[in-house]
Amino acid sequence: MKANTIEPQPGFAIKLAATQPLSNKTAVKSAPAARPRRSNWWRLSGKEGVLFLLALLLIWQVISTFHFKGAYLFPSPLVTSKALRASLPELLKGTWSSFIILAPGYLLAVATGIVWGLLVGTTAWLSRLFSPFARFASPVPPTIYIPYAIALLPTFRTAAGFVVFIGAFWPVFLNTAAGTASLPQRYRDNARILGLKRTEYLWRIVFPASLPHIFSGMSVGLVFSFIMLTVAELFGASAGLGRFVQLYADYADYPRMVAGILYTGAVVLLSMELLEQIKRRALFWVK
Amino acid sequence: MNALDTRPANSALGSGLKVESLRFAYNETPVLLDINLTITEGEFVCVLGPSGCGKTTLLRLLAGLETFSSGNLSWKSQPITGPSLERGVVFQDYSLFPWMSLVNNITLALAKSHPETDKKWRLNLAEEFLEMVGLENSARKHPFELSGGMQQRVAIARALALGSPVLLMDEPFGALDPVNRAKLQDLVLNVWSNANPKKTVVFVTHDIEEAIYLADRIVMLGSSPGRIIQELRVPFARPRLRRALTGSPEFQTLQEQIAERFRQDTLQRIEAESVVAGDAEGI
Repeated sequence: MKANTIEPQPGFAIKLAATQPLSNKTAVKSAPAARPRRSNWWRLSGKEGVLFLLALLLIWQVISTFHFKGAYLFPSPLVTSKALRASLPELLKGTWSSFIILAPGYLLAVATGIVWGLLVGTTAWLSRLFSPFARFASPVPPTIYIPYAIALLPTFRTAAGFVVFIGAFWPVFLNTAAGTASLPQRYRDNARILGLKRTEYLWRIVFPASLPHIFSGMSVGLVFSFIMLTVAELFGASAGLGRFVQLYADYADYPRMVAGILYTGAVVLLSMELLEQIKRRALFWVK
Repeated sequence: MNALDTRPANSALGSGLKVESLRFAYNETPVLLDINLTITEGEFVCVLGPSGCGKTTLLRLLAGLETFSSGNLSWKSQPITGPSLERGVVFQDYSLFPWMSLVNNITLALAKSHPETDKKWRLNLAEEFLEMVGLENSARKHPFELSGGMQQRVAIARALALGSPVLLMDEPFGALDPVNRAKLQDLVLNVWSNANPKKTVVFVTHDIEEAIYLADRIVMLGSSPGRIIQELRVPFARPRLRRALTGSPEFQTLQEQIAERFRQDTLQRIEAESVVAGDAEGI
């Protein structure tokens, strides 16, 4: 099976077997040599995750086969994948319509969250001014704004963009401010020795030094953005990923609905991976 | 004894670095007590003392990074109230910004010392400074790719790029191995003696040998609280040849005398403390 091709050690074991021509019982010998390898391969090769996913797939298949409403509420993997393929054009269109809401809201939240976090984190009077409000406003679950935003703002797109912004802003802002607060003394000393002006200090020292915090704020913010977006789309969108799932749930077309959920999961995963790659580039200097 | 000559340095008043009745307390605890010190321009002074004696605090006060409780601090009769480009600092480690390449770490300093110049010119000059410390081939590297000794070379280059007449060095080689330490000591001596006009250097260390090898004058700090227990002029002519000098009996006698002076101070302090404790028992 696969195990033999993925594992790096079989080659080694084969070599061992091959370099023992003196033994006249090679056939018998190679079998026990292979055994510890086999019992260990899943532990050594780090494929547990794949194994777990396969097990889930199997359970899914079993439930959809044997549950009394199985085929209806739990469309089998095969049926779902067919539904996924069939609705792929619609999903891609939905992805685009979701992204033109998510991207501006998220990017605006990142930009303002970073700039405002750097300023508030390094300015005593701004911190005194803004902190009480932040303490009050930041823990409010952002989904609670959705109905009001939809009522208040002229179009669904602006309303959804606004709640995406709110969802991402607080994590980015709070993490940036925390990053400035944990700025090592030595960077401050060196900046003072070099006589850096305030804007240079913020942009060339405080900002890069806070990047590890900023990136964790950005990943939390990205997850929040997706939550806000899909929830907003459940309320009143005419297109988009959340809308897709809502629509086929209303039609009781569960294969498409499940396909939509899986597809959305994949989109979020890819977005997080993209952010992770950017982070790895930007933080090359962190050991 | 000739070696423990306590005459104050060449007292050209009004110029140089002046410390008068300087006192620094941290949360009511005195860290530095009544420090009086005059360092003439172009002089190489080592502040020598055990850890915790407040020598780093003294250096940070000279740099303007801390505010003293009372006394006076001035450079060329101008009071020191904060950091200034006139006083470059090399810290024990972590002087560089890890997200900037070496050359950018230095252009950051050049942008301050030569604000009228353009980027291209600064880049060229930065590379010259790196060449001066023997790192011309690593200009685009980042600090994390370098050994501790190399990082300190860059930190020295950056301090030089600031063009400060005063160089404050806080145990800059404390974390280095003996070979690199010796190399960098010679680098600092070269830089110091080749500069025209000569730079004024205040070099903090706890290493007696290092202090004797480098300094024109050694200021010995005793601890709890930090105060000057002795100043002495280093009698050896320059250029000093490391092998010949450190092997000479004069060098070793001086080294032993300094160590002895610190031992005396420690003993006196312990005695004083036990007297206080004894009084307390009496009450």
